[in-house]
Amino acid sequence: MRELRAEGVTVRFGGLLAVADVSLDVPVGGFVGLIGPNGAGKTTLFNAINGFLPPSSGRIRYGDLDLTDLPTWRRARLGIGRTFQKLELFGRMTVFDNLLAAAEAGTSRLDVASDLLHLPRRRREESKCARIAEEFMDLLGLGWARDRFAGELPVGTARLVELGRALCGGSQVLLLDEPSSGLDSAETKAFGRLLTGLNQERGIGILLVEHDMDLVLDVCREVYVLDFGKLIAQGPPSGLAADPAVRAAYLGEEDRGPSAAQASRG
Amino acid sequence: MEIFFRTLFIGVVAGSVYALASTGLVLTYRTSGVLNLGYGALALLMSFVHWQLAVVWGWPLWLSAIVVILVVAPIVGALLDLALFRRLVGQPPVILIICTVGLWVLLQGIVIFVWGSETETVPSLFPTDTVGIFGARIGIDQIAILVIALGGAGILAAFLRFTKWGIALRAVVDNREVAGLMGVNSGLVSAGSWALGTSFAAMTGILLTPQLLLDPNLLPPFIISFVLGAAIVGYLRSLSLAFAGGILLGLIQAFLIQYGTFRGILGSITRIAPFLVLSVLILFAPRSVRRTSAGSSFVVRVREVADRAPPGAAMMVGAVVFGVLALLPILVGGSVSWLLAVTAGLVNAIVFLSLVILTGYSGQISLGHTAFMGIAAFTTAHLVSGAGMPVWVAFALGALAAVPAGALIGLIAVRLHGLFLALMTLAFAFITQELFFNQPSVSGIEGSVVVPRPPGAEGNAAFYYLVLAVLAACALLAVSLRTGRTGRVLAAMRDSETATRALGINVVKYKTIIFGLSAFMGAVGGILFAMIRQAADRLDFLPFYSLIYVTLAVIGGLFHVGGAIVAGLLFGLYPKLFGQNELMLDIQLILFGVGATLALAREPEGIFGELRRGGGKLLALVRRRRSRAIAPAEEPA
Repeated sequence: MRELRAEGVTVRFGGLLAVADVSLDVPVGGFVGLIGPNGAGKTTLFNAINGFLPPSSGRIRYGDLDLTDLPTWRRARLGIGRTFQKLELFGRMTVFDNLLAAAEAGTSRLDVASDLLHLPRRRREESKCARIAEEFMDLLGLGWARDRFAGELPVGTARLVELGRALCGGSQVLLLDEPSSGLDSAETKAFGRLLTGLNQERGIGILLVEHDMDLVLDVCREVYVLDFGKLIAQGPPSGLAADPAVRAAYLGEEDRGPSAAQASRG
Repeated sequence: MEIFFRTLFIGVVAGSVYALASTGLVLTYRTSGVLNLGYGALALLMSFVHWQLAVVWGWPLWLSAIVVILVVAPIVGALLDLALFRRLVGQPPVILIICTVGLWVLLQGIVIFVWGSETETVPSLFPTDTVGIFGARIGIDQIAILVIALGGAGILAAFLRFTKWGIALRAVVDNREVAGLMGVNSGLVSAGSWALGTSFAAMTGILLTPQLLLDPNLLPPFIISFVLGAAIVGYLRSLSLAFAGGILLGLIQAFLIQYGTFRGILGSITRIAPFLVLSVLILFAPRSVRRTSAGSSFVVRVREVADRAPPGAAMMVGAVVFGVLALLPILVGGSVSWLLAVTAGLVNAIVFLSLVILTGYSGQISLGHTAFMGIAAFTTAHLVSGAGMPVWVAFALGALAAVPAGALIGLIAVRLHGLFLALMTLAFAFITQELFFNQPSVSGIEGSVVVPRPPGAEGNAAFYYLVLAVLAACALLAVSLRTGRTGRVLAAMRDSETATRALGINVVKYKTIIFGLSAFMGAVGGILFAMIRQAADRLDFLPFYSLIYVTLAVIGGLFHVGGAIVAGLLFGLYPKLFGQNELMLDIQLILFGVGATLALAREPEGIFGELRRGGGKLLALVRRRRSRAIAPAEEPA
């Protein structure tokens, strides 16, 4: 278990400053929220942390490791998992195969030659990974959808599969990008309980980007607020609602909220 | 200095024709989403109609040109849109490209059927006297071509800028979805753009053929190479850059011919210049271009069959099929021609299988598999005759020789997706053909070198069993790939490369592996193909055949081992089933291709998908019968 830190991360797109000198800390077993209006740079920061985008400056550290120059797949191997706001499931594979592929990506040491030649290792590694996939399928209550194609699932289930995939992959720290979008309020509540359970019982660190303020205030122990790429506030959720800078950033957000939600659904 | 000016002028003139053509191609691509690889064949057909009217029927040249460009071509274009491409809206890019390959084969086949495959000469529309400009002697016809090409472009520009119809067209070019929302009649626009594009193709053909020859086999690839190269200069988006690209390629060609007195390999550069330009531009395309829809992945949407056959049943059907194939030499008795036809069919199946694992399983694309086949076949030939190696060893080394080439394409596929990757692989096939297969040092003075069959498999029946064994091994490998970890990684990459990377998969490694493996399998097919006739001929590995292979693989069924075998046998046995007449053969193959391509819009799983569905229905029927037969017996109790 390691602590994940972003130190002074800046991301530029041409002349546009998407993320400006942001530092952020997910302690071991921490549950951290990241909020801010649309276009504040939350997803961009995620992409910098998991390696989809190289930051213009700043470092990404993971315990005593410096991840900044590592490719995405190496960071994932070290235990940094993520989900996507716009679902990225393996649509033409079954739910079980989605999880199995993730478990194999995380733990299987099967080489391509042994796999293609059906050496005994293949069966051994496959059953080991299948057990991991079964375990998380049960934990998330996905058993009923086991043989469904991931591309045909309702959004709520699909979000669970994405979470399950990250877990099967052996993630120690989860970056969750708006997991509640597309869920109704009951589903969102259940999802929040699930995350709390994972965090407390398995000690998995969570960095949560969310629009649903109730969910964030409910589950996070520390919250960072981004606006126009800058960090404008930070602290435990109880104090944040009163923070004038947060109120200013979010008053506009209240207006934009519903239409933005519709846009992402459409 | 005089030569310089003359070269400059010739370059601009030729370039202006390419420019006109590429503008037509991009216009159609942007408005209908179809990148028409059959554009050159369309120009060929229109040139032959012009030749028929003007030379055979003796119409005045001018009248004939005007009738073809302004009447025949627009009608043909609009008909193509209505009959074919309109029905394919929303289909994945791989299906669209394959339909245009079908169009290419169809049009070229029609031309050969009607006019024969002889080369004809087309008289120039203009006097060929020369005038002196800047001290250089310049043909009047050249000046006229330049005026017409520039005039055509000018009229197009004015049409797009000032007419209501042109503005609608431009709106669709800029953004199809938004234009649709704003009430632009996209049906009319797409018919119009096909009509316009075909007119441009006709103009291209009629202006070019007096300088070149009207050759049914050489003209289409020549035109499409220059047109694609020019269109890529604007990255398939910008009409004006596509026009500039045409001029640029014309200049490059003229100066290479004038000043490049190269021999051997360097001499080939003139012919592949468009593909070199295309490769460099695509490879170094800015990120914003690579991420446009043209660069999006070739994921084929397939309505997965819910009642998939259990793996055991599939393996049993496979075992029965291979059992029948194993008995075949006995079944056909002494008929050598039947045996060879089935052998060819099985060799085809190996090549199709290499495409199944690449495209069907992994969502990648290659329009250049003949390159791998040829590299392997010629390497084997030289290792045997030049280095004196045993045939078996040369066979293995020859197949391995294609792997680095495949891996290289795999590395390129890390950067490029979709249409750009497809064009890159096509360019690879053309470049390999010119730089290697066409060299006397590779394919010999006569264009053909000996590839002996391995000892123990010299006889036709023994060779048949060798091919069957290799096919069985490849099929088992494919099944193993699909059902194992590697196959899951590849399928994951096909469905979402982003998520695959985020799960800790090294995408570079797996793309290299799948392209290397597919190249290897194609290479084995290429060597066996050469061994059928015990010779590797440079005409066996023309880039055009890569397109045919992909088309047939899709028609057979790109997602299953069975599809490759069905397509292979069908393609191999075709001459035996439908007679030996070459011409009728072409036409029947074409009609079959078009029919099947149209059917694909409905059934992307190909013939094999239909067969399997039929088999499933049959099975269900039998089960129902049986349960009905049992039910009354149980009732009294």
